[in-house]
Amino acid sequence: MAYSVKLANFEGPLDLLLHLVSKSRVKIEDISIAEITEQYLDYLEKMKKFDIEIASEFLVMAATLLYMKSQLLVPKPSEPVDTEEIDPQQELILKLTEYKKYKKASEYLRQREETYSGIYYKLPEEIINEESSKTLFTGVTSQQLLKALLKILSKRPLVKKEKEITHELRKDSISVYQRIKQLEAIFYEKEQCSFYELFNDQYTKTDIVVTFLALLEMLKNNDVEAYQQNPFDDIIIRRRKVSNG
Amino acid sequence: MDDRETMGIIESILFVSGDPVSLKDIAKVLEIDVRIARKLMERMIDTFNFERRGLQIIKVNDSYQLATRPEFSEYIQKYIGPEQKQTLSQAALETLSIIAYRQPITRGDIESIRGVKCEYALNILSERGLIKEVGRLEAPGRPILYGTTDLFLKSFGLSSIKDLPPITEEDLA
Repeated sequence: MAYSVKLANFEGPLDLLLHLVSKSRVKIEDISIAEITEQYLDYLEKMKKFDIEIASEFLVMAATLLYMKSQLLVPKPSEPVDTEEIDPQQELILKLTEYKKYKKASEYLRQREETYSGIYYKLPEEIINEESSKTLFTGVTSQQLLKALLKILSKRPLVKKEKEITHELRKDSISVYQRIKQLEAIFYEKEQCSFYELFNDQYTKTDIVVTFLALLEMLKNNDVEAYQQNPFDDIIIRRRKVSNG
Repeated sequence: MDDRETMGIIESILFVSGDPVSLKDIAKVLEIDVRIARKLMERMIDTFNFERRGLQIIKVNDSYQLATRPEFSEYIQKYIGPEQKQTLSQAALETLSIIAYRQPITRGDIESIRGVKCEYALNILSERGLIKEVGRLEAPGRPILYGTTDLFLKSFGLSSIKDLPPITEEDLA
């Protein structure tokens, strides 16, 4: 960009003006508007070749300077006109002084930045807090744990069923894919369902695992969403709204 | 517990924290008066400097933090390898200095001092965490007021905003 190449030193019209003032080695209060205006316009002329967009910002200042210059050239009426009005030259000088103040301050900050960017700090220690890891399972007692287990066991005597399988050596009663199809059918009718409800009286450990895997798959595909109030609670599964297909 | 031990405890707390630790927290942990804690901190800072330790304790707005010394930066940089140092542009620095000296200040006021738009510079400074919104001016449009952050003080090695040197008239001659 032309701007950054040619005008890197000048951030706006005030900056340029300040540069011109300091180049002529006079105090801000003593600037000759006529002289500065010439230099300013010279600079604008060069700049216009590069980027008129940017130059437009500087044009306002050029116009102001020209106005002041014209006022100086026109013979003044003998008695001072409206003294209430702020002299534009005085106003410009004030602005320049103020701006110079902060330009100076920024030089100071620049130096400090250079010095203090060489300071290094360390990150906080990563401390595994025993207390906070315990709180992962707040509100769950061993009683509740037992209750959850009993709930599953009470549905149907698991042990007996398993005994049968051990010598039967049959194929998995159902595949994850088949179970997904089944579950999809269930959720087609019902909007939500609890995990326990997904099992009828006849089920094996494999069924639980397969159902769980099927649910995970469906969750992944965003077909359903699941909630569990507390660890070991029943899981509520809810059908997600199908937008298409 | 003697002072040496107390200072040892403070040092280890500063180490574990990494981030600045407030005087209040130090006093609370040690169950001592804040004024005593402040005295101890001053002594610790002096001791660290006097013994020319590799680490120093820096103070920012009544918080303390362990840090390396700027004079060792050359070696640290050699050790950690080339690193992209992002220095602030002139525009950003000018904007920052106006905010530092004149805070709280609105964007309009900054722009009228610099005579040029500052939106981009303000964004950069906010992103770097050097300035923040400190409120709104009770004026039409309720413009945002900007102020500097503790990170600003730290980045420029200042303990508080009062450490900024006054801008004197002689400087401007």
